[in-house]
Amino acid sequence: MASSPPTATRPLLELEQLKMHFPITRGLLHRVVGHVKAVDGVDLTVHSGETLALVGESGCGKTTLGRCVVRIYQPTGGAIRYRDEDGSFADLTVLQGASLRPYRRAVRMIFQDPYASLNPRKTVLQIVGESLRRHDNIGGVELEQRVAELLRRVGLRPEYIRRYPHAFSGGERQRIGVARALALHPRLVIADEAVSALDVSVQAQILNLLQELQAEFDLTYLFVAHDLSVVDYISDRVAVMYVGKLVEVGSRARVFAMPKHPYTEALLSAVPKPDPRLRSAGARVRLSGDVADPANPPTGCYFHPRCRYAQDRCAVEAPPLRELGDGHRVACHFAEELELAGVAGA
Amino acid sequence: MPGGGGRDLLLEIKGLKTHFFTDEGVVKAVDGADFPIARGKTVCVVGESGCGKSVTARSILQIVDRPGRIVEGRILLHRESEEVVDLAAMAPTGKAIRAIRGKEIAMIFQEPMSSLSPVHTIGNQIVEMIRLHLPMTTEQARDRAAELLERVGIPQAGRRLDSYVFQLSGGMRQRAMIAMALSCRPNLLIADEPTTALDVTTEATILDLIKELQRDLNMTVMFITHDLGVVAEIADDVVVMYLGKVAETAAVDPIFHDPKHPYTRALHQSIPKFGDTQRGALEAIRGMVPHPFARPDGCTFHPRCESFMPGECDRVAPPAVVMESGTTVRCLLYGGSDGSGAVRDDAGGHAGTAGGEAGARAPGKGASGPRAADQGAAG
Amino acid sequence: MAAPAAAVPAAAESSTDTAATVQLASQWRLIWWRFRKHKLALVSGVVVILVYLVAAFAEFLAPFSTDRMISNLAYAPPQRLRLIEQTDTGTRYGLYVYGYTAEVDMLSLQRTFGVDESQRIDLRLLAKSEPYKLWGLIPLQRHLIGPVDQSAPFYPLGADRLGRDLFSRIIYGTRISMTVGLVGVTLSLVLGVLLGGVSGYFGGTVDLLIQRVMEILRSMPTIPLWMGLAAAIPDFWSPVLVYFMITIILSVIGWTWLAQAVRGKFFSLKTEDFVIAAKLDGCSELQVILSHMVPSFMSHIIATLTLAIPQMIIAETALSFLGIGLRPPVVSWGVLLKEAQNVRVLVTSPWLFLPGAAVIVAVLAFNFLGDGIRDAADPYK
Repeated sequence: MASSPPTATRPLLELEQLKMHFPITRGLLHRVVGHVKAVDGVDLTVHSGETLALVGESGCGKTTLGRCVVRIYQPTGGAIRYRDEDGSFADLTVLQGASLRPYRRAVRMIFQDPYASLNPRKTVLQIVGESLRRHDNIGGVELEQRVAELLRRVGLRPEYIRRYPHAFSGGERQRIGVARALALHPRLVIADEAVSALDVSVQAQILNLLQELQAEFDLTYLFVAHDLSVVDYISDRVAVMYVGKLVEVGSRARVFAMPKHPYTEALLSAVPKPDPRLRSAGARVRLSGDVADPANPPTGCYFHPRCRYAQDRCAVEAPPLRELGDGHRVACHFAEELELAGVAGA
Repeated sequence: MPGGGGRDLLLEIKGLKTHFFTDEGVVKAVDGADFPIARGKTVCVVGESGCGKSVTARSILQIVDRPGRIVEGRILLHRESEEVVDLAAMAPTGKAIRAIRGKEIAMIFQEPMSSLSPVHTIGNQIVEMIRLHLPMTTEQARDRAAELLERVGIPQAGRRLDSYVFQLSGGMRQRAMIAMALSCRPNLLIADEPTTALDVTTEATILDLIKELQRDLNMTVMFITHDLGVVAEIADDVVVMYLGKVAETAAVDPIFHDPKHPYTRALHQSIPKFGDTQRGALEAIRGMVPHPFARPDGCTFHPRCESFMPGECDRVAPPAVVMESGTTVRCLLYGGSDGSGAVRDDAGGHAGTAGGEAGARAPGKGASGPRAADQGAAG
Repeated sequence: MAAPAAAVPAAAESSTDTAATVQLASQWRLIWWRFRKHKLALVSGVVVILVYLVAAFAEFLAPFSTDRMISNLAYAPPQRLRLIEQTDTGTRYGLYVYGYTAEVDMLSLQRTFGVDESQRIDLRLLAKSEPYKLWGLIPLQRHLIGPVDQSAPFYPLGADRLGRDLFSRIIYGTRISMTVGLVGVTLSLVLGVLLGGVSGYFGGTVDLLIQRVMEILRSMPTIPLWMGLAAAIPDFWSPVLVYFMITIILSVIGWTWLAQAVRGKFFSLKTEDFVIAAKLDGCSELQVILSHMVPSFMSHIIATLTLAIPQMIIAETALSFLGIGLRPPVVSWGVLLKEAQNVRVLVTSPWLFLPGAAVIVAVLAFNFLGDGIRDAADPYK
């Protein structure tokens, strides 16, 4: 069993009632007719040095949440509190321009698509070196040395420094993306589906690389992913999202072995297990229907129309995210009563 | 291969080579693939991107995009009437293959929009498909279409007939595409990564559906995927491809519990095991899939192989070797390099000579390997 | 697990040395490589360059000036260039043409020309004739080709109604036709990129405003506007200046098509991962635009520009033909074509349509070139 998650460590990032509502506009004059509540009141703490995985189906808001943290989006509500190295907290949601710059160094992002995320018109030197040039004003030979060192660290030959992205395979491109994220020695890295576009063999290489780098540079990862076997492998804690809200948060071991939310159970059950002998083993939970529309979510618990344990109360009353003990939080009225199946051995 | 003998065969791919003639050079997307597809079974073709699994599937229906074309090999379709036709010999735009497409062999894709038209209703598309191949009136075809939609689990099927594709969610689109593929009761359904773009929850329901249909309609399914988890869920037989060649063919259980080819083993070790308590570093396959213009000599996997034998693997293209368990493997660890191939049974020996003589061309010739073995076993 | 020594051995061996040049190739190199494969576009590119060379060296290439006339040779047909002469004494080589015989039909007063084999007009390369100043600077006297005797008739493409050399006039016309609209196109380009960029990048109210302005401008009919402007501009201006002013005014209206394209590009690029990454890397808005976004569609702008030039040529030709564009004494392809406006010309002097051939060649060349550039513009597709 891997060492238990460092719950005792100090938080690096605290999200408080974070909201990201995108307006829906209509007509010639862009009248606002509604809001897509992509992230709708998320409370979440990321501890220093851990890997927190954010999981859920597409459209659940996990990518938007990650993008709020790196401030690609300006959240429409709540706070993102980031703990500086001196221990003081800064609310990233209110910072703009120059005051945000220090946090642009410390909080970095690895993108999902290794093709779209690298500018095809720039060399590796320009891509990886961009942040060094902009933040530290490094140029010339020093920049080349720094970039070459980064490339070496992520497993690429430094001689490739003048090549353009088209000369690289998907896995190599993702290494370039990792090098770019690491250039400024960040503390928190948001990995947005960083391995889901890769082939399995390459995916393993990148996962290993991410783990090595985490140990070496004392990184904290917010790992946005939909592949639960990858999440199982890499994360210390797991946060499950559904239609903009958290439904379950806890240590990976607890959530995977003893899920307390029916949605988590369904997600876990749906993962194809790479062993044909397990085919008939265990009861299968299948979700019917689609993820609710975040512009027009159902009443009560957003999950109730798809939940096989749903009762009358679920359609009326929205369950709060509540503590079950040991850092395990769930948003379900019947978390204590339900006997949900987890993953054996987790 | 289990269940591979004589009349249980639906399709045999023999020495298939599909190459793409680009301006920069020839991409040998499929370069001597051999494997049988047993009637009524689900065969998973698994491999990383660029291994030629999709092109193999498209070659069967002769829908390879230009500048690609089949340059060699046979694709034998065994009909119920004992008739055997070679799909590879048919003209890609000819009448013969068009009569087979959609009727005897249907295909579904990763992206439903690639086979469903956005400007026609789903009902109209299915009706058109049915009437193209079967003698039915529009009313009969429409009833049939409604049945099909219901069969693939689309709620309110009768009303959905008049929906457009964009009005359906991802999973429903996939179902509609499956309904369309089933419209003429094909013997073989080729599914090209149909669940890759879907969420796990939707993927699970689509896999359930395909399994159920396969069982109820006694259909043969060729399922292309890169996900070993999916393979474990639905496959009867598995074909592992690497760089346009078949590395290993076996029943699903030995692929997971007794893999022979080092590539199969490596693939297995490189995926995170769900629910596994061991959390050490994953054993990644070193390097990456080579550039399509620069395929390694000998065994194409040798630069990344754990069991690489210098002087052999980089020289001799491994012939097909049939193991006692029924697994067919192309790896020199199991014989086939020069004289050593003779150690094994006659099939191995036969293929071994081919490998020894013909060097790089061996896989094409080695096609006779598994077949010889099957006959040997039968006799 | 933290052992850096185990860092993925030899992970980066995707490249082979043979492909090294491809892998080091920049975007422009890749575009060139792709463009090179378009044979038609390549040939068109050469044609376009030739056409502009003709425009640049018109004085040198044309045997005569535009107004040199021999009035009794009005509507004289083209002469055939000859190289070999069979005489009683043997075969002689040399460049020459035969003179004209003229018969006047007394009833219709029409002149019919024949070939006068007895009159040999010798030609020479770099012939000395009327002096001129190349680009208004270098005084020269030699022309690429011309008759040894300056006053001898030499009409390789025939003569017009005043006995002027059509060949020389087409060459001079090239200069005007190929350049007079360029300023307008450039202005459209600048306005289009600027306003389209602002509209697409900032979005919101600014976008809303620019969009509406564009719609209003687009709804204006150009030909009536053109006619009105042609009448409104003071007639003491030179015809070229008048035309020039009109093209500039029209470009103020015509930037919308480019702005629309640029706006769309900005909209789609704004959400591209690599643009977001540049922002996260600490680039300012301006740096993001100039260093990451504009280079991404520069090639498209070049292609659009190449396709805009033939429109400008056609516009000049059409408007001059209608009499509301350029007017004599300015020489342009459109002005030349205006002379071929009646049926009589069509029947008796078909060579006066040759400026039309020049228009077709130039327009086609530009279109093929533009298509080639557009196809090659994105080498990553």
